[in-house]
Amino acid sequence: MDRRTFLRVLGLTPLFGQWLIKDLAAADGPVVAVAEGRDYALITRRAIDALGGMKRFVKPGQVVVVKPNMGWDRSAEQGANTHPVVVRTVVEECLKAGAKRVKVFDRTCNDERRCYVNSGIEPALKGMKNVEVKHIENERFRKVVLNGHVLKEWELYDEALSADVYINVPVAKHHGLSRLTLGLKNVMGIMGGTRGSIHKNLDVALADINAVFKPHLTVIDATRILTAHGPQGGNLADVKVLNKVLASTDIVAADAYATTLFGLKPEEIAVTVAAAKRGLGQMDLKKVRIARV
Amino acid sequence: MKKITSARISQLLFLVLFLVMFLMTEYRGSDRLGVAVNAFFRANPLTLVSTLLAAKGWVPLLFPGLLVLILSALLGRFFCGWICPLGTVLDLVAGRIRKSAPLSWLKGRVKYWLLVPLLVAALLDINMAGLFDPIAIFVRALTFFLHPLIGETARSGWVELYRLLGERRDALEPGYRILKDYLLPFRETLYPLAFLSALAFLFIIFLERYESRNWCRNLCPLGTLLGLLARLSPFKRVPAQLCADCHGCAALCPTSFDRELLQKEECLLCMECQLRCPHQRVHFRLAGFQPAAGGPLMERRLFLGGLVGGVFLARFFRFRDPVAQVRLLRPPGVRSEAEFLEKCVRCGECMKVCLRSALYPAFSQAGVEGLYTPILIPRLGYCEYNCTLCGQVCPTGAIPDLPPAEKKRQVIGKAVFDKNHCIPFAKRTDCIVCEEHCPIPQKAIRSEMVTERDFSGRSVTVKKPYVIEELCNGCGICENVCPLEGKAGVEVFAVKDRTPIAESAGSRAQASDDPYQ
Repeated sequence: MDRRTFLRVLGLTPLFGQWLIKDLAAADGPVVAVAEGRDYALITRRAIDALGGMKRFVKPGQVVVVKPNMGWDRSAEQGANTHPVVVRTVVEECLKAGAKRVKVFDRTCNDERRCYVNSGIEPALKGMKNVEVKHIENERFRKVVLNGHVLKEWELYDEALSADVYINVPVAKHHGLSRLTLGLKNVMGIMGGTRGSIHKNLDVALADINAVFKPHLTVIDATRILTAHGPQGGNLADVKVLNKVLASTDIVAADAYATTLFGLKPEEIAVTVAAAKRGLGQMDLKKVRIARV
Repeated sequence: MKKITSARISQLLFLVLFLVMFLMTEYRGSDRLGVAVNAFFRANPLTLVSTLLAAKGWVPLLFPGLLVLILSALLGRFFCGWICPLGTVLDLVAGRIRKSAPLSWLKGRVKYWLLVPLLVAALLDINMAGLFDPIAIFVRALTFFLHPLIGETARSGWVELYRLLGERRDALEPGYRILKDYLLPFRETLYPLAFLSALAFLFIIFLERYESRNWCRNLCPLGTLLGLLARLSPFKRVPAQLCADCHGCAALCPTSFDRELLQKEECLLCMECQLRCPHQRVHFRLAGFQPAAGGPLMERRLFLGGLVGGVFLARFFRFRDPVAQVRLLRPPGVRSEAEFLEKCVRCGECMKVCLRSALYPAFSQAGVEGLYTPILIPRLGYCEYNCTLCGQVCPTGAIPDLPPAEKKRQVIGKAVFDKNHCIPFAKRTDCIVCEEHCPIPQKAIRSEMVTERDFSGRSVTVKKPYVIEELCNGCGICENVCPLEGKAGVEVFAVKDRTPIAESAGSRAQASDDPYQ
């Protein structure tokens, strides 16, 4: 935290103090931190700090995977990929917490070179020490036994599996089939094989994978959301600027809250419902503490 | 060790330049390519002449070719001896190949019988010169055969290392990354005609066993064209004949002293004879315009035969299998097949640069007349929405170089669903991968919610896709990502009317589509 931020937080503490204490007192139930502001680096840090800071998740010497959504050859403002500033800030926080190495990757839908470059994420991370931004290499997919309801096994990416800490950094956006794509669906970026074929049972299949592969932290980028023609968009008229970043250790709670940003209820998103039913997290927002910072 | 002459230095520099440009004909993070190997085609007089004959108009991209053409008329075949990368490769291997006697059947006027029909065919709107163009043969051998082979070998070695070392392979990553970033192709694409492309190149090298520069002096249509121009050149070697007391030039000369008299149209201006003349008698000097020796420019038989050959080429290889035409998809921006065949020089660059390896050389799909022309095979690769690379590298503008906004509206074909295969129709379960991937901002593939009974009688609600034809640009990503094995449930078909998508298209149909309204 730089001095200015520290002072700002210090100054704001009395305002939220009562609130924070209430939060700490009710230690049960998941927390979703919601930070709002025009400085995306600042709100990303604030959201993570509200959960106890990156030091809570990343211990010195650990290898961290930061998995944004950068699946499309679209620019940052078009809202199809995680905002590069959000990704960069999460990576910086990991390094500050002492991470040995931070790996950033996604299995893209469009050409990987174009996606990495035009999402703005590769340029944003360029030159950072101990940060790896590599394309997916097919040989690294490894069969993982899931024993799920529809998926018995699937190939997942070894760098995600072997990382000490996995941080899920999706962008909140519309999706033609699942209505929204948020934290739970972002796991598709570490899936090998013909991912499209899980669409026939998308909600259950995603619960199957998320039940086995769990991120330590989910940071949802809602700085701007794509409200229609997702998951790719392309039309700025479909993009709504919200200036928000969400963070939670409960991926279902984070998705449930993010759903409300679209004017929808968590129950309307089958992927969220299936995950909650599987016990992967809390989708009832009444039982979730929303920490606005 | 031979003395290094300036011709040799120039040859090596141009060969290196050619290879570097070849490697740079690839996306490396910037939407515009700074340099591409197309420079060699734009400066190629054969490309110039055949394209101008076929297009019957001026093609500004080919201006450098005109300069080389004029220079050749002044100097002679300097291109062959100082620049041509294929010629350089031949010079490099020639010393290692033992020569038997020249092939007598090549010694006649075979080369004119090749060049003239090609040019006449071009005049009749079929530009086939590229099939025999030395630069194109070289680029195709690299693009379709050698480069993917190197890529495939390096890549499988790298994968093998992973099997051996697991994540410890990461220690070697920086080294491999340099190799991958600068030398290897991004994808190891398998091309049809890889074998034929390699064979053509190897055949030219094989010809070296009969005499040096066999291809260049007896077959190469570019060399033949330049040879015709060289006859006009005022730049002359003296003495024009072998000296009676020496005959040393006959052994030195790579091309034109198998007879007593210097064959001006075969002289590559390597200047070896001048440099090595023991008596310092040989000079190249300006001698003013004078009729060249070596017989009449063109016999009547050749002229008439060339005409007939050209008509034959242009008219009798046009058979096309109608079934194949249904799926004959051309690169984005190509509006008319006829116009495309006038300008496409079959150099293979668009296929080399294609981001998603969507373009492949046609073998029989476009008939014999379309051999090696690029076709898009969506099941193997799709046209990336924001990418304009193929238009940028096309040396003749057969694929127009369009700004991204315009390129996105170019129609390659139209997608059509096959309800017998498409999952939501055939299996009554959800899929919609095609709609998800459709890059058109307003979506050319949309879906409707249909409630029906599945095959076990339960009521299900399924999203069924359909195409908005006025929005579809035929990029083929839907067909490419369709999760069905083998045949896709949605396929792109060729259309005659390739009018670009209207800029306002889709707004009318869009209003009711927003799920949040």
